[in-house]
Amino acid sequence: MLIEFICNGKETRVDVPAEMRALDLIRNELLLTGTKCGCSKGECGSCTILVDGDPVCSCLLLAPKLQGKEITTIEYLERTNGELHPIQQAFIEEGAVQCGFCTPGMILSTKALLKKNSAPTVIEIEEGLSGNICRCTGYTKIIKAVQSAALKLQGAEK
Amino acid sequence: MKNKELTQVGRSALKIDGRELVTGKAKFSGDFNFPNLLHGYACRSKLAAGYIKDIDISQAFKIPGVVDVILPKDIPGGNILGILPPYDQPVLAEKEIRYAGESFCLVLGTSVEAAKAGARAVKATIEPIVPILTIDEALAKDARKIHASGNITVSKKLIKGDSTKAFNEADIILEDTFETSNQEHAYMETEAVCAIPSGDDRITVYASCQSPFHIRGHIAANLNVPVAKVKVIQAYTGGSFGGKDDAATEIGSLAAVAAVRQGKPVMICLEREESIVGSTIRHASRIHYRIAAKKDGTITGKEIKILLDGGAYAAESPFVVMKALIHSAGPYIIDNIKVESTAIYTNKTYCGAFRGFGVPQVTFASESMMDELAKKLKMDPLELRRKNALKPGDLNATSQVFQESVGLIETIDKVIDLNRLYKLPSEREERYLYGTGFASMYQGISNGAEGIDVVGASVQAMQDGSALIGIGLTELGQGSRTVFAQIAAEVLGISMDKITIKQVDTDSVHDSGPTVASRSTTVGGMAVYKAAGEVKSSLLKMAALMFKTEENNIILKNNFAQLVFDENAKIPLREVCVAAYWTGFPLMNLSFSKAPEANYDQENTQGNIYVAYNYGTHMMSIRIDKLTGEVKVLKHVAVHDAGKVVNPKAFEGQVEGASLTGFGLAHLEKIQYRDGVIINPNLADYAVPTINDRIPSETISIETYNPTGPYGVKGIGEPPVSGAAASFANAVANATGIRFKKLPITRQDILKSLIKI
Ligand code: FES
Ligand code: FES
Repeated sequence: MLIEFICNGKETRVDVPAEMRALDLIRNELLLTGTKCGCSKGECGSCTILVDGDPVCSCLLLAPKLQGKEITTIEYLERTNGELHPIQQAFIEEGAVQCGFCTPGMILSTKALLKKNSAPTVIEIEEGLSGNICRCTGYTKIIKAVQSAALKLQGAEK
Repeated sequence: MKNKELTQVGRSALKIDGRELVTGKAKFSGDFNFPNLLHGYACRSKLAAGYIKDIDISQAFKIPGVVDVILPKDIPGGNILGILPPYDQPVLAEKEIRYAGESFCLVLGTSVEAAKAGARAVKATIEPIVPILTIDEALAKDARKIHASGNITVSKKLIKGDSTKAFNEADIILEDTFETSNQEHAYMETEAVCAIPSGDDRITVYASCQSPFHIRGHIAANLNVPVAKVKVIQAYTGGSFGGKDDAATEIGSLAAVAAVRQGKPVMICLEREESIVGSTIRHASRIHYRIAAKKDGTITGKEIKILLDGGAYAAESPFVVMKALIHSAGPYIIDNIKVESTAIYTNKTYCGAFRGFGVPQVTFASESMMDELAKKLKMDPLELRRKNALKPGDLNATSQVFQESVGLIETIDKVIDLNRLYKLPSEREERYLYGTGFASMYQGISNGAEGIDVVGASVQAMQDGSALIGIGLTELGQGSRTVFAQIAAEVLGISMDKITIKQVDTDSVHDSGPTVASRSTTVGGMAVYKAAGEVKSSLLKMAALMFKTEENNIILKNNFAQLVFDENAKIPLREVCVAAYWTGFPLMNLSFSKAPEANYDQENTQGNIYVAYNYGTHMMSIRIDKLTGEVKVLKHVAVHDAGKVVNPKAFEGQVEGASLTGFGLAHLEKIQYRDGVIINPNLADYAVPTINDRIPSETISIETYNPTGPYGVKGIGEPPVSGAAASFANAVANATGIRFKKLPITRQDILKSLIKI
């Protein structure tokens, strides 16, 4: 079936089988492989994308459901001038990236969180990222990165 | 190698591949896309043991999109897996199934879905046999033999002094038995490979893996072609922790065989369930532990029997047996030790390397016993550890002596200080129990007794003043590329932004063995240090000619060659590089670093084994909710002597990550079997720690100078797993007064025991 949606700021029209997952559409058809697959069951958060600004496990979402929506994947965070998004910067600076496989999902969940709550407490950060598993870092540096990104973004607004 | 005025080593340089990772540009194996790509999906046994009678693949071909089915007979070479002798594992099972999840054929399809549907349509007739599921069943007198050699994979002994005499003369003898469960690596990226036949009669394989050279060798053996025909490139790898070795060689070999047969690229990405049931996990263990001591707390003897349940195949069991053997007596001065360490075959998922390599299991037993001994002697547990702790010049369990870089006492003293300052909440509510636990540990750095340890690294300076580093050790997230870049930058006086680390490509870097045993920084770092040193000498020679002075009047710093006595007299390094090139001074070097060979009596495991040890002491304070059994970690401090720390932030990251894995082992994670089948092969039922399970780890490093590592480094990747797991167990015992002898100690276990009281 033909669907139309906005992907990373671009109007996108694709013909997809009704049973195709959004994750496969994004990775295999749109070739946006920054979105990862760690479990296919909604248990790890590696496949997180933003749908109308909300974090969603794209492995659980059928592609046709994207009809009329606006989606963001990790590829859209870097500015066109090559500058990293403040959240991306914060993840690197705070040492919140080890193997990096969870990172795209973590960053997008962070983006959604900070949009709703520009100065989250640690508990709110834990809530916001509870669907994203990271086996490498022990999470402490991820929390620091979110806090630092929040400050950067607040600074940018002023 | 004096450590004065270091500019790159010792600072928290940003991860050099961070940018690719945060932007999603980094290509992991599953991210490749080639025209005509085929996907492979394995048929796996649902039974734990059985004889394969027939495999009917005819129905599979009726599924649209199914292209081919690979059976054992289609593997041109040896159908063999196994990094070490006894090489007892087939790539595809041919006659006998030895664990539930073992694969016996591979279906190729034009899509993953087609291959998967094809695999479901394959009809296998497997005659069931009664599986052997426990150590006791495997060791029973008339037990069926899982392998022709019997059910003992490997067994080793360590004998120092006369333990019988020590026990006869002891004031106090304590003994007990401890057990630990299997633990799953649960790297977020599952195993994945992509094999591409190239027009030049060679094959290229991209792999998510820990040891590309292992894969290369296996592919050649299974394709029956010379090793030189095979090229393996390590793609970005989403975690490994010891695990992406055996299964990676399995699917690497299969993908290569399939790709050559079809003349098309073939990708195999394991699903999460396959990654759990069909790839190594941490050995479950049963450890019988005896301690002999004097009244004053001097430990005089230990007798330890370690049984490791290794599952269906040997994989890296021989290494894990050695590591457990050597470390089981703990980081203490003990004159009389007798240890026996044995791995056993059972009809379960095979076990292999996992962060810590047998040390977390034995450290749990050892440190639980230390606390019990302290209790018996009415001694402070930290004082007891301090009294027996290894110091420079002491003989450790294998009678190896280190004159330097034995910082154990300092780690204990640090924890004594911190513990004195730390007060558990004084307003104790009825509902909660509070407790603090300690654990000391050590972990050998380098391959040691497990094999020759050589790393080759190349350093090439370019005419624009940048440098390219090649090394055969893999970046798995631990930050080794950044560490190697820092070492090269330090030696060459080049800034980090001008340094590039090659992807590990078996064509272009030297076989450096596996990335294991916390050896990258020490042995790998030394190779980079030496190669960079050779290039540096060319640059110094050239700069001396240019300045018309002696080489020792010149230093390389901040991308310049400058005079020692006049900072303003400087020439850009790029000009020195150009001049060196045209003068014919070599700008590239391949150097090797070889750890001193382990030199020991194989019968009793006595002698020099490792190039260094990491020493550590952990403290963990917890609060237990009596109503629910819920545990909250209030404080966790990990103090390690890891030698010189190259990158403090990356170091903390290693400690924090490893500690949470140790906490998972001790409290949350448990592979559960029913009739030999893993019943929780997913991330919902198998509890990998989430952000809500996080522990507040504080990292403290006691820097000693290790003469066998560049700038005095050692390693840190694995040791905190043991420290965190063992200190957790002791904290629970301290809080509840109950000694739990089995890991994990789950919330339910705690609750059940509290109700019983
Ligand atoms: S892949 Fe979607 S949640 Fe794991
Ligand atoms: S950085 Fe490896 S899973 Fe998070």
